[in-house]
Amino acid sequence: MGFIPSQKNWRLAKSDLVRGLCAWESWYLLGISDIRLRYKRSRLGQLWITMSMAIFITGIGFAFSFLFKQDVKNYMPYFAVNYVVWGLISGIVLDSTTTFTQSAVYLTQEALPRSIFAMRVIVRNLVLFAHNLIIIPVIFLIFKVPVTWTILLAIPGLIILIVIGFLATILLSMICTRFRDMAQILQNLMQMLYFLTPVMWRPEQMTDAWYIVIFNPFAACLRIVSDPIHGIVPLNSVYYMVFATFAFLLVTTLLIFAHFRARIVYWL
Amino acid sequence: MASITLKNASVEFPIFNARGRSLRNNLIRRVGGNISPDNSDVVTVQALRNISITLNPGDRLALVGHNGAGKSTLLRVFSGAYEPSSGEAIIDGKVSSLLDITMGMDPELTGAENIILRGVFTGMKMSEAKAIIPEIAEFSELGDYLNLPMRTYSSGMTLRIAFGVSTVRPPDILLLDELISVGDAEFAKKARKRIEDMMEKASILVLASHDPKTLRQYCNRAVLISEGTIVAEGDVDTVLEAYGVSRGVQEELK
Repeated sequence: MGFIPSQKNWRLAKSDLVRGLCAWESWYLLGISDIRLRYKRSRLGQLWITMSMAIFITGIGFAFSFLFKQDVKNYMPYFAVNYVVWGLISGIVLDSTTTFTQSAVYLTQEALPRSIFAMRVIVRNLVLFAHNLIIIPVIFLIFKVPVTWTILLAIPGLIILIVIGFLATILLSMICTRFRDMAQILQNLMQMLYFLTPVMWRPEQMTDAWYIVIFNPFAACLRIVSDPIHGIVPLNSVYYMVFATFAFLLVTTLLIFAHFRARIVYWL
Repeated sequence: MASITLKNASVEFPIFNARGRSLRNNLIRRVGGNISPDNSDVVTVQALRNISITLNPGDRLALVGHNGAGKSTLLRVFSGAYEPSSGEAIIDGKVSSLLDITMGMDPELTGAENIILRGVFTGMKMSEAKAIIPEIAEFSELGDYLNLPMRTYSSGMTLRIAFGVSTVRPPDILLLDELISVGDAEFAKKARKRIEDMMEKASILVLASHDPKTLRQYCNRAVLISEGTIVAEGDVDTVLEAYGVSRGVQEELK
């Protein structure tokens, strides 16, 4: 069995993606219900998403501004933006560990496109992101952070991040369904990457080990969204790294998806 | 036109034991060289072997076989959920498989929300799915209960809704694992009528059952499955007879 998918597999994979993306009502409903269910019986409901994030950011923002000997006025907005965007990235990666196992009832009964369930993960995390996003203008107002037109660059940045996230979800979901240890590995990895990515520290602080910032795809994906919100145009090196990540994921994901798409149900 | 064609379709399940599922094992095997020349970590279960069958409009197929013979797996191949690991399966037409009618229903969501979710998954637009709620409220006789979370329902009530949504649109191809019976005597009668109606409208019907009477009533052809292969096919009586012989309990069928 070679690694190059057959003509038929390519065709089926393409149809899966097209049908899956077109079935937006399915993944939209699933994603929204996921969030609703999580807070169904709580009094504050979805407000908890925003509140927990606000509490965490305030606490860590204060503590680390002292630790890094930085002005709270500068550090708090910096950390808040980064952490909210990081929440989206790590949320997508971590949710990918259960994409297909969670949807086993659907997949074993009907011929549904696998991509519906990858989009479910994306929608779920975008809803969480939208809730967390509310914190940023509030913090910007409190600390009187000037906002420039550069912030608009965050929008294409976010779109690129979502496309990369979708590809990554399909790839990781498949690997995690086949190899059940991957979920644990990813959880540990994301914990470590949180410290290796400029979320709470500034890229400039990492002068000795600059390659950790430059060649870290997570740092690049973070910065195409967070830098414009900070009022900085992302460096070319950031965009190159994002493009390299995208190209790598596009090729790997499509190859593996076309090859093993039909097997996913057998791995459940 | 609805049709199902299987050509030499086989379904093989890799069963990864605790060791086989882990990446560690794969890594160790790669790094340490070939410990076992045959893939001994992965046990393969052949659920179906070289099944070839063609179903055309008007066919009412009975699936007969012991437990574990492969009936449900074959139904899943017909539904398109399992793509054969070798061979081909070409399925034309809208399939509705009532294998698990509560598929994807969440106890925390209300009855109405569950109806919408299921409706959308059977290919309706959101507005169409909302439009069927009154019809299902009436059929299931649940009325205002539809606005309460499903966890407050009795299991009978849950099944009424599940059955109602699953049978709201007649498909081209209908797959049934045993004839579903839901609810109390009165509702069961109503449900039976509804499913018979659906069976009649479906262009192709596949029914897996252990009950000879049901199979004789609804089917016009049959296959006997044993250990994942078709061992007999033909009209219902012939196949049931072959099944009886293979079980050695011919009396029971009469």
